[in-house]
Amino acid sequence: MSEKLISKKTSHGSFDDAANAALFLAVFIGVWQVVFMLGIWPKISLPSPFMVAESFVKIIWNHSLPVSIGVTLARLVTSFAISIALGTLIGLTMIKFKGFGKTLSSFSAGLLSFPSIAWVPFSILLIGFNDFGILFVVVMSSIFSIMISTYSSIRNIPPIYLDAAKNMGAKGFYLFRHVTIPAATPSLIIGIRQAWSFAWHAIIGAEILMSIVGLGHILSVGRDFLDMGQVIASMITIFAIGLLVDRFLLFKLDERVRRKWGLDHHR
Amino acid sequence: MTKLQAKNIVKHFDHNGNSVLALDGINLNVEEGDFICIVGPSGCGKSTFLNIVAGLEKPDSGEILLNGNQITAPGPDRTMVFQEGALFPWLKVIDNVEFGLKMAGIPKDERRQISERYLDMMQLTKFADSYIYQLSTGMKQRVAIARALAMDPEILLMDEPFAALDSQTRDLLLVELQLIWERTKKTIIFVTHNISESIILGNRVVVFKNRPAKIKKEFVIDYRRPRLAEDENLQKYYHQILEELKSEVMARIKDENL
Repeated sequence: MSEKLISKKTSHGSFDDAANAALFLAVFIGVWQVVFMLGIWPKISLPSPFMVAESFVKIIWNHSLPVSIGVTLARLVTSFAISIALGTLIGLTMIKFKGFGKTLSSFSAGLLSFPSIAWVPFSILLIGFNDFGILFVVVMSSIFSIMISTYSSIRNIPPIYLDAAKNMGAKGFYLFRHVTIPAATPSLIIGIRQAWSFAWHAIIGAEILMSIVGLGHILSVGRDFLDMGQVIASMITIFAIGLLVDRFLLFKLDERVRRKWGLDHHR
Repeated sequence: MTKLQAKNIVKHFDHNGNSVLALDGINLNVEEGDFICIVGPSGCGKSTFLNIVAGLEKPDSGEILLNGNQITAPGPDRTMVFQEGALFPWLKVIDNVEFGLKMAGIPKDERRQISERYLDMMQLTKFADSYIYQLSTGMKQRVAIARALAMDPEILLMDEPFAALDSQTRDLLLVELQLIWERTKKTIIFVTHNISESIILGNRVVVFKNRPAKIKKEFVIDYRRPRLAEDENLQKYYHQILEELKSEVMARIKDENL
């Protein structure tokens, strides 16, 4: 038989990747140190890497960093869960009622690009200067991306999958659960990753402006006390969390689905 | 015994706001165990007819009877092998074959048994745990056939299933399909634009007229099996059918240039 199984075991050079990242970081910190020693900016405006490390130790030691991380992540998880649940529900409603879907999706460009910070004044006046106000900002900033991606992912399913499934007797919830959802998954994951990044933008912004605890808050406290070390330490934390979540949760999920579907095998 | 009966099937399409007649009263009787090939110029409406038999599209008038009962919706008693791309990339080969059985509520062990039997018949046992992208086009179509057969349908519908295959793989599958037909005694309707394919497979070849489609002529191919693509004796059928089709293909080309 001339037909062969195409099965390439691609070994990702994860060690190489890590080494490259470490090298990049070393160079970055080196350049930083050099710029610091040139004395262009006063110490208070641009501390050295070592001074930032000291700030790190300080805010870990006085618990403000771990508490902030905990509070921010708790808010984020809550609001992101609400976003996913409500967004999916609205997305499905858009599918079910075609006119509604079409109308709503014609606003999608405006909704998706709406800056999250622009929700803050509205939220403060509507809900107040509290946790719920922050949740509101985060939900409003990420829900549209979930909604639109649910709608378009399902609408873009190749009709042949649905025809084939119906042909074998699938209908109703079975069809939805075993064909619609898996067929839409690769595209849904892209929507979730996007929503996650919107939510992350939104929560830090909202916390800077309207919180008394959280990562965004310690960032703005750093500014208030002219403590650049704390500002940079908070920024690094925000960067690291954003990277870790995408890299080890969402990206992994995406990669798994892509491997299964053979989407990385375009020849 | 009559397995399937198409009675005066009429279907219109909406084409840029104009209603175009696609099927102009198709009447066809399919006997139990028949292997019917429908040939016609591409775009003539033969796939539409098959979709109507499958229940995926509704006729404007006329009816389809399966074992005397009218058909109104898709169902596992008429499984279809599509041209390509109808396998589910999120499932392994064996789970693709089991998909319809699971829907039908067949217990897990039995499901596995059935799907293994058909994978074996299609010589795919080794690939049960592969994902779809790992298969060649020919293997994919064999999985699709296994999946359709696993449902044990009353009638098997095939919509140009070999159109995307290279000729060596197609010749091989043409033989395999004849053996499967003899073994399973399934009633098959096979749509194709390829005359040789229709002669090799069908015991009846139905020629469709260009749009609006009507049955132009029917040929009975009474010849030993398994028939091979290179068999010279099949040439005379080929020329007869070609003669019928030529004018239709010309008409089709004229249509498209309008």
